[in-house]
Amino acid sequence: MATEAKLSHTAAIILQAVDAGFVYGFSIMEMTGLPSGTVYPAMRRLERDDLIRSQWERQSIADAEQRPPRKYYRLTPAGRMTLQASRRRYPLLERLIPSEEVKSV
Amino acid sequence: MTPPSEWVHHVWHLGLLRGASLLVPARQRAEWWREWSAELWHVRQACAPAGTASWAGEREVTAFCLGAFQDAFCLRRHGFRAGIAFAAWQGSAAHCVVFLAAALTASCALAHLLPGVRAELTLPHQSIRRDLVAIQNADFFDRSSATILPAQYHAWKEQEQPYFDGFAFYRVTRESIVPESAPAATPVRTAWGVAHASANVFALLGLPVLLAVAPGDSDGNLPRLVLSDVVWKREFGADPHIAGTVVRMGERRAVIAGVAPDGSWGLPGQVGAWLLQPDADFASGEPGFAIAHLTAAGKAEMWAQCVRITAYGPHQSVDDLLGVALEERAPSPWTIYLFAAFLALLALPAITSVSLGEYSISEQRTTWSRKLYSWSFLSAKIALLLPIFYFVSLDLAYGRTTSEPESGLYIQLVSCFFMVLFGMRWALRDQRQRCPVCLRCVEHPAQVGQASRTFLAWNGTELMCMDGHTLLHVPGIPTSWFSTQRWLYLDTSWEFLFVGPGAGMEPGTFTGFSPH
Repeated sequence: MATEAKLSHTAAIILQAVDAGFVYGFSIMEMTGLPSGTVYPAMRRLERDDLIRSQWERQSIADAEQRPPRKYYRLTPAGRMTLQASRRRYPLLERLIPSEEVKSV
Repeated sequence: MTPPSEWVHHVWHLGLLRGASLLVPARQRAEWWREWSAELWHVRQACAPAGTASWAGEREVTAFCLGAFQDAFCLRRHGFRAGIAFAAWQGSAAHCVVFLAAALTASCALAHLLPGVRAELTLPHQSIRRDLVAIQNADFFDRSSATILPAQYHAWKEQEQPYFDGFAFYRVTRESIVPESAPAATPVRTAWGVAHASANVFALLGLPVLLAVAPGDSDGNLPRLVLSDVVWKREFGADPHIAGTVVRMGERRAVIAGVAPDGSWGLPGQVGAWLLQPDADFASGEPGFAIAHLTAAGKAEMWAQCVRITAYGPHQSVDDLLGVALEERAPSPWTIYLFAAFLALLALPAITSVSLGEYSISEQRTTWSRKLYSWSFLSAKIALLLPIFYFVSLDLAYGRTTSEPESGLYIQLVSCFFMVLFGMRWALRDQRQRCPVCLRCVEHPAQVGQASRTFLAWNGTELMCMDGHTLLHVPGIPTSWFSTQRWLYLDTSWEFLFVGPGAGMEPGTFTGFSPH
């Protein structure tokens, strides 16, 4: 049996979206087309499994832009490894949501 | 200026979020609220900007807010450490077995709490003496009809009978039973079915009488009345010293001789009390029911629990009669259950495949120990389900003590049949949806391919074992090359099957990845 954690399709696409720079819930929803009732619970599970980590935006930045601060998500090293494994399993993942590096090419 | 409808919508959306936040564990609620309210602000900016009244936009924002409930439920389930452990436990084989064991305990406990069921279990009809037959006119198909005239009964009793060594007779009328000590102005009581029966009816049937009083201890001139358990409780408040009490039944007086245990009477007619009378009192009148005990010669004449009887009537008329064994008239709940279960198992292949669907895509096969584990689990499920169905069917059939014994029999038969049929169907389908390695239910169904391309490529549903052992492929439409579900074992050789992007693989053909 493979040693890497195996993700569902939904979790893999969300992980890919976070890696691609869509770092808060609404942007992931917009990018993936998944509803909020799928995206947020999936992110809770990913955070619980230590694949992503959340961090609140600084209040000063939000104040400057006259909006509430956002909660941003980023991949952990374990999440990055899992995403690599998921990309091997789901080759279309990167085609659907190109990562920052791919986009810049 | 902000239109009023925007305010209404905004309050509505905040209300939805606030409602969902109540489901979130208290220690996570503030953080959760902060994130969702911030996201709501951004969603509103994107979908329904200030000053633009758009129903479509507001609907999108509402849909976004409704998703908060799923998130809140998710946090509630997974928020606590115990919750996490429970989530991991959910869907496992142990979870299923414990759930079924709990259901069995509950159904068994309920069966022992319901008076009707308890009576059926503790004093079943098997306690009736063996080799008894209920005699009825052979021309009547309805076995609950009273067809024997008192004159016929007397004629048989007076003749020497080679096949029978005991007779009893009863007929049922509806009468109220009132203690003699009750004031005359007492409101009219419930009319109960009173069986006017031969004095030997309980002795012939072998039925016990509780709280019995000896004939010499009561007024010997009055007929003796045996109460049913229901009448004893409802009319006399389950008085333990009821024996010897004189009661009025219309114009007639009788002395209570005891109480018959609940559920002991399995014969036709809904009877609340038995008035034991000398045979001379049945000289004429309405027809009733006759019971007889077979001699050895009579037993030899029985065929398929029935015996044809040709008897001479009171005026030398020849009566064509049928004797039906009481065991046949009132089969035990266990017999009914076995019969219904047998019928259901015969019908099972008509509604589901009896295969366990343990087909593998790759060469890899499950080990013998895993197969044994899987079969043990299936056996445990069935072993727990069958007694659950038995007890639930008893609860349904005999939970109401007022129902006719015959209706209980049919309710049990029908309920048993459907419960066993669909229960076994569930057991097999559940087994087919469990990972052959860990026996967890596979989850996260994903639609793969398009039904319109059935003849060009595979389409169906893909499910994953959350422990990462297997993928289950279930064809949408069974085809000659993919007719049944197949398991893909996720070992190292599985990774080798997948090639990287750009290697010529047609999008969506094999990986099952579908963004929508």
